[in-house]
Amino acid sequence: MKKIISQVAFGLLGLSVSAAVVAGPSEDRAAFQKFYENRFPDTPVADFQNGVYSILPAAREQWEAIEEFPPYELSIERGEEIYNKTFANGMSLASCFGDDGAVREKYPHWDKDRGMVVTMELAINECLEANGEKPLKYKKGAMADVSAFMSYNSRGQILNVEIPSDDPRALAAYEMGKEQWYTKRGQLNFACADCHMHTAGMLYRADTVSPGFGHATSWPVFRAKWQEMGTLHRRFAGCHNNIRANPYKAQGEEYRNLEYFVSYMSNGLEFNGPAARK
Amino acid sequence: MNQGMKVITLGMALMSSVAFAGNGTTAEHIEAATAAYKQVAKDTGYQWTVTVKTIKAAQKALDAGDDQSARQLAHEAMALVEATRTQAKVESDNWKMRLPK
Repeated sequence: MKKIISQVAFGLLGLSVSAAVVAGPSEDRAAFQKFYENRFPDTPVADFQNGVYSILPAAREQWEAIEEFPPYELSIERGEEIYNKTFANGMSLASCFGDDGAVREKYPHWDKDRGMVVTMELAINECLEANGEKPLKYKKGAMADVSAFMSYNSRGQILNVEIPSDDPRALAAYEMGKEQWYTKRGQLNFACADCHMHTAGMLYRADTVSPGFGHATSWPVFRAKWQEMGTLHRRFAGCHNNIRANPYKAQGEEYRNLEYFVSYMSNGLEFNGPAARK
Repeated sequence: MNQGMKVITLGMALMSSVAFAGNGTTAEHIEAATAAYKQVAKDTGYQWTVTVKTIKAAQKALDAGDDQSARQLAHEAMALVEATRTQAKVESDNWKMRLPK
């Protein structure tokens, strides 16, 4: 009898795992968001856009004080200058993204013609190169500044990433990002989900781990640890280094697809970047 | 590297050293670890940061004339390569178990 019960239980476990794996993106997102709502019942859903400060009242007060004189302010100003600088051919970034660059809500998106995920930072460099200018480095510096300016002007826009159902390549890109999120890597054997999902809110040394829901809203950020601005892909690389896994290339397929997944999981939240973080 | 991690890594190094036992020069062992490192990176699409550091340390020790340390580090690097491969194999399925239900 015991054997039969254990076989049935094992079968049911298998079914539940398979059901989770074959679930589509919208089911994934519902389960993902529900996970955080259950884990942090005192946090209003819309507040997850504030990262770790959505679950850490003690640090929030300090963070709000920092945001009164934000350390990213100069970055926005530098970004505006670069944004409006005229290229050698008479064009500018404004020629690609409009006068104010408030286009955050369009990224990341699936480009059906090219069969790939396009992020805002990638689009910035593609605009530069299409106009005969040198591309910017993806992790910090001028790229983070331009991104900060465009994100600032995009504040309040809602994340609404789409996985087009008529293109299986888009679903494959999403699945690749999803696998990255849940797969353990590096000598320390950590997955993104281990820290930012299953132990979110807990202390790793002196730092509370942020919830993954809302991870895509606030970039670029000024991190106290960096003492400068950085993009989301810089942070991805930093996380990989922390777990002793070689990082992927910024704006390579792996990180673009991870951004696609992470952003899709946060659909419904507001873009509120740039931001200050520890 | 913390104490626990050192014990695991050295344990793996000792296991892999059995496979190497006494065959070839230390330089050949370093070459074998380097080739295995490149191969696992190709097969799995990723690597551990510590592996290449260990290979470099092995080469440095060999260049400094410390054959014993160099050989030990080469074996440690090989163990790290094998651990990377095992992780990739295990995780090719296990990641699905972390999905929220």
